Amino acid sequence: MVKKQTVSFKLNGADVDVVVEPRELLIHTLRERLQHTGPHIGCETSHCGACTVDLDGMSVKSCTILTVQCQDAAVLTVEGLEQGGTLHAVQEGFTREHGLQCGYCTPGMITRAYRLLKENPSPSEEDIRYWMAGNLCRCTGYQNIVKAVQYAANKISLARTGT
Amino acid sequence: MKVQIDKRYPQPCSAQIAWGFLQDIEAVAACMPGAKITERVDSAHYKGTVTAKLGPATMSFRGEVEVADVDGNSRSLRLLGKGTDTTGSSGASMNLSAHIEPADSGHCMLVGGCELSVSGKAAAFGGRMMSTLGDQILQQFAENFAKQVGALQTAEGTAAAPASAAAALATPAPALNVLALAWTTVKGWLRGLIFKKAT
Amino acid sequence: MTATTEVLEREAKLQGLGVSRLRKEDARFIRGKGTYVDDIKLPGMLFGAIVRSPYAHARIKSINKAKALAVPGVVAVLVADDLKPVKLDWMPTIGGDVQAVLAGKKVCFQLQEVAMVIARDRYCAADGADAVEVDYEELPAIVDPHKAMAPDAPIIREDIADKTEVGHGPRTHPNHIFTWEAGDKNGVDAAFSNAAVTVREEILNPRVHPCPLETCGCVASFDKVTGQLTVYITSQAPHLVRTVVAMLSGIPESKIRIISGDIGGGFGNKVPIYPGYVIAIVASIVTGVPIKWIESRIDNISTTGFARDYHGIGELAADKDGRIRALRFSALADHGAFNSHVSATKLPAGLFSICTGSYDIPKAYCRVDAVYTNKAPGGVAYRCSLRVTEAVYLIERMIDVLAQKLGIDKAEIRSRNFIKADKFPYTTSLGWTIDSGNYHGALDKVLKAVDYAGLRKEQAEKRAKGELMGIGISTFTEIVGAGPTKVCDILGIGLFDSCDIRVNPTGSAIARLGTMSQGQGHATTYAQIIATELGLSSDEIQIEEGDTDKAPYGAGTWGSRSTPVGGAAAALAARKIRTKAQKIAAHLLEVGEGDLEWEVDRFKVKGNPAQSKTMKEIAMAAHTSNLPPGMEQGLDATEYYDPPNLTYPFGAYVCVVDIDRHTGETKVRRFYALDDCGTRINPMIIEGQIHGGLTEAFAVAFGQAVPFDENGNHLGNSFMDYFLPTAVETPHWETDHTVTPSPHHPIGAKGVAESPHVGGIPCFSNAVVDAFAHLGVTHMDMPHTAYRVWQKCRALGIDRR
Repeated sequence: MVKKQTVSFKLNGADVDVVVEPRELLIHTLRERLQHTGPHIGCETSHCGACTVDLDGMSVKSCTILTVQCQDAAVLTVEGLEQGGTLHAVQEGFTREHGLQCGYCTPGMITRAYRLLKENPSPSEEDIRYWMAGNLCRCTGYQNIVKAVQYAANKISLARTGT
Repeated sequence: MKVQIDKRYPQPCSAQIAWGFLQDIEAVAACMPGAKITERVDSAHYKGTVTAKLGPATMSFRGEVEVADVDGNSRSLRLLGKGTDTTGSSGASMNLSAHIEPADSGHCMLVGGCELSVSGKAAAFGGRMMSTLGDQILQQFAENFAKQVGALQTAEGTAAAPASAAAALATPAPALNVLALAWTTVKGWLRGLIFKKAT
Repeated sequence: MTATTEVLEREAKLQGLGVSRLRKEDARFIRGKGTYVDDIKLPGMLFGAIVRSPYAHARIKSINKAKALAVPGVVAVLVADDLKPVKLDWMPTIGGDVQAVLAGKKVCFQLQEVAMVIARDRYCAADGADAVEVDYEELPAIVDPHKAMAPDAPIIREDIADKTEVGHGPRTHPNHIFTWEAGDKNGVDAAFSNAAVTVREEILNPRVHPCPLETCGCVASFDKVTGQLTVYITSQAPHLVRTVVAMLSGIPESKIRIISGDIGGGFGNKVPIYPGYVIAIVASIVTGVPIKWIESRIDNISTTGFARDYHGIGELAADKDGRIRALRFSALADHGAFNSHVSATKLPAGLFSICTGSYDIPKAYCRVDAVYTNKAPGGVAYRCSLRVTEAVYLIERMIDVLAQKLGIDKAEIRSRNFIKADKFPYTTSLGWTIDSGNYHGALDKVLKAVDYAGLRKEQAEKRAKGELMGIGISTFTEIVGAGPTKVCDILGIGLFDSCDIRVNPTGSAIARLGTMSQGQGHATTYAQIIATELGLSSDEIQIEEGDTDKAPYGAGTWGSRSTPVGGAAAALAARKIRTKAQKIAAHLLEVGEGDLEWEVDRFKVKGNPAQSKTMKEIAMAAHTSNLPPGMEQGLDATEYYDPPNLTYPFGAYVCVVDIDRHTGETKVRRFYALDDCGTRINPMIIEGQIHGGLTEAFAVAFGQAVPFDENGNHLGNSFMDYFLPTAVETPHWETDHTVTPSPHHPIGAKGVAESPHVGGIPCFSNAVVDAFAHLGVTHMDMPHTAYRVWQKCRALGIDRR
């Protein structure tokens, strides 16, 4: 009988506690114990990026993180981006530029783009494509996703300069 | 996914001793890293297991071995092995022919030809490494074999040795560690590149 | 404000047909609040994990459940013997065959389903699956379809060995499924013997897989008290699933509810009914609790509906000026171990006979021989429009082959052979009546846009320097919108579709349809169609699909049929409402019906425009007593639409590639795609579909394959090997359009989502081959990976510095 562990961390700003086996993956904890079904499962080899979340200020694929690694961590998922009824610029960009169709890759894409713009507020198209290469999409062909991220970058920078 | 491996391994013992050892299936199995005979059904049929570790993961095959075409004149036999791993996701079968060629006194050659066939996950994900890993596994096997028959040759030579020979025979080969083997394989390949050694 | 401005403003408020309005469904997806099947949680739900065969062909000697049942958390283990009493160990396929739900006596493809372990969560279920012990006796496997009908070939389908046909005509061998042919064989053979020039190529469409980002799965929930079965499922055709499940289970269809919620991509992968669904349903009936089954990615690539695997031979006979006189195409089709792919009863090879393409070809003959092999079942999938990818690939490759043989420019030869714009509707020599087209117009526009003459000049200069540059052209005609029920049915059910619209008193509406979006934007586009027809804002028109308890019967969304069939149903249902509305308006305004004219969102009295009633006012009136005598209340309508014909979107694509002769790497320098899908409902959504279809075409052309070794082992069934392009290698797409409406469609629209895939694949291939054309290369098979292209460079001796 494997001994379960209690893991406490912050999810989208709120404190959570879970009791898990050491082998439980963060993606399963988020989706099944913590009712956050935004991050999705698209593969089992860490390629597709549909499970991307933000962990202590880094984009990670939550299918390759054990929940027990998250003690005291700060986890951000797509559900945590909208604040006080206002969409995050990245979320707005995705809908304004038609950067989604079936929506399955979208939470991972948005969460990754969020981190990209924190690290690189004015990325070139090449930067965006390179940074988002860990997130696969079958529907959009990426072209409008690039435009969505550019929209968000623009909006964030305008907000910063107060224009 | 099929692999054909043909090898010759010099042995530090007479052809007679080597042939005698070769027919002791349980002892021979013990030379294969990670292998074990678990049941002797009859003189020609055995059940056994092979365990291989790949990092934290362990693959356990269970299967059957049949001894066929035993010929004392040519000192040859065939081993037919077939098994699946315990999770049911891979299968393997082996058709191995082995014979002993005498060389000068106190030395001989173990000649083996093996067709190894793998199915399922092992083939899908391990297929590319099969041939080089197969070489490495057989290399370890041959070294263990040589150690065992060498002890027997020495024991024959000195009356005081039977106890140590028996002790040597009783030690099973260590578990098959695939990552260590893979590293040995890569090192060998790199060495070959650097020194352009012909294989 | 002038009258016209006012009208335009009212029209703009509708956000109706033709507007690039933002999508209504985005709101939940950008917040991570979609409801995909793996998001469904029901009380007491258990998880099912499937035990699968490691062998491609083997007898099952025994199955031991004991160790699995002892794993903590495991509740049950189902094997074929457990399904036999309810006769569900085998099931009919939508291809007219039968398929094993759980393998009983033997397995016929690697990773075929052998058992399902039911447990309290997915971890226990996986542990349990590892503990099921199955004893196999391996059998020789058939992997090469060319060997399937050898006299001594092992028999794969022992269960139907004595059947002389499996739904589509006589079989000549136990591994033969059907032979289908169309056209005038004798006439074609005669034309070939008399022809000035003939060309022949062997052309492979390798086995590939659609790989939607969400894998297949379901949550089956049987209520023992009410006898109601509810299945949440990733299905592109929920009503068809309901009917088949009723046939299989004996539960009355009125007590079965199939719910397709949000689907993470379909691409044809989610049309067949998979064993996993059936076992989950049985498990729920047996245990009385909901059972969730979600497949892994490896399972998805290995066992669900693959695409293509057509081994083709293309032959054209022509005059020396390149006018094609006859076409003779054949294909050996590898269907895998069961014939399970979607196909109309009368069309087992789908719409392959569209292979005469955009050309006026007087005589044609095509033939498809389908065989079983020890591989996963399938064949029709991946944006193929029912084998149209295979057909268009053949004709677009062969016309390039012909051009090279005759030394005629590849754009010029197409122009010489196009069906002329004034010949539509045009009936091809294989029997399809193309509704409308303007092939010369489309090609001319594209050639001008890319400066084709300049590109050929550049190519000549580069060739003189030993550089490889290729120009690929694809002028394709698609055939979508299955289809007229006389010709198109699945298991007897006609491929009509439906729309049910209800307008409520305060003037908003709900429309439900029998199609099923998997990302195509139906919640937006159908609303736009209805908005323009009814004069209500598309913001206030809710669209629902996927719940069979609510939606009228339809055949779902695949083969680009939503706009041609569902869109027509929506428009016609709306027109029925407007007809009734006109009567109400006449009554309210106290005029005759003929005195009214419709303007954007209201009926106006002719000659007295101040007198008008908006649709909103009429909607309220329809629920009051103020109606014409004898008229019922309510303002709703249902339309079941049986299309009179399929629709034929078309396009002209040009691709420019630069190939590094030292590495074989191909850079797509430019891709210009002109599509004509008739009336354009939402240009933004169309453009998105084109981007997506072209990216999938890029994947197929440059890297996708599902290879096997001689024992039937998969050699590339995970994302470690299977090529899905990332944002880095995906080229930039340029889109353009012309508009040639369909004369038989209520709004002139044709559908478009598969066109870029159908047209894109040959365009990329043609570009790569064109890069080598001056060195005598006439054809190269896909995928054009750098390694394979480098092998060609090496064979030509041009890979060295």
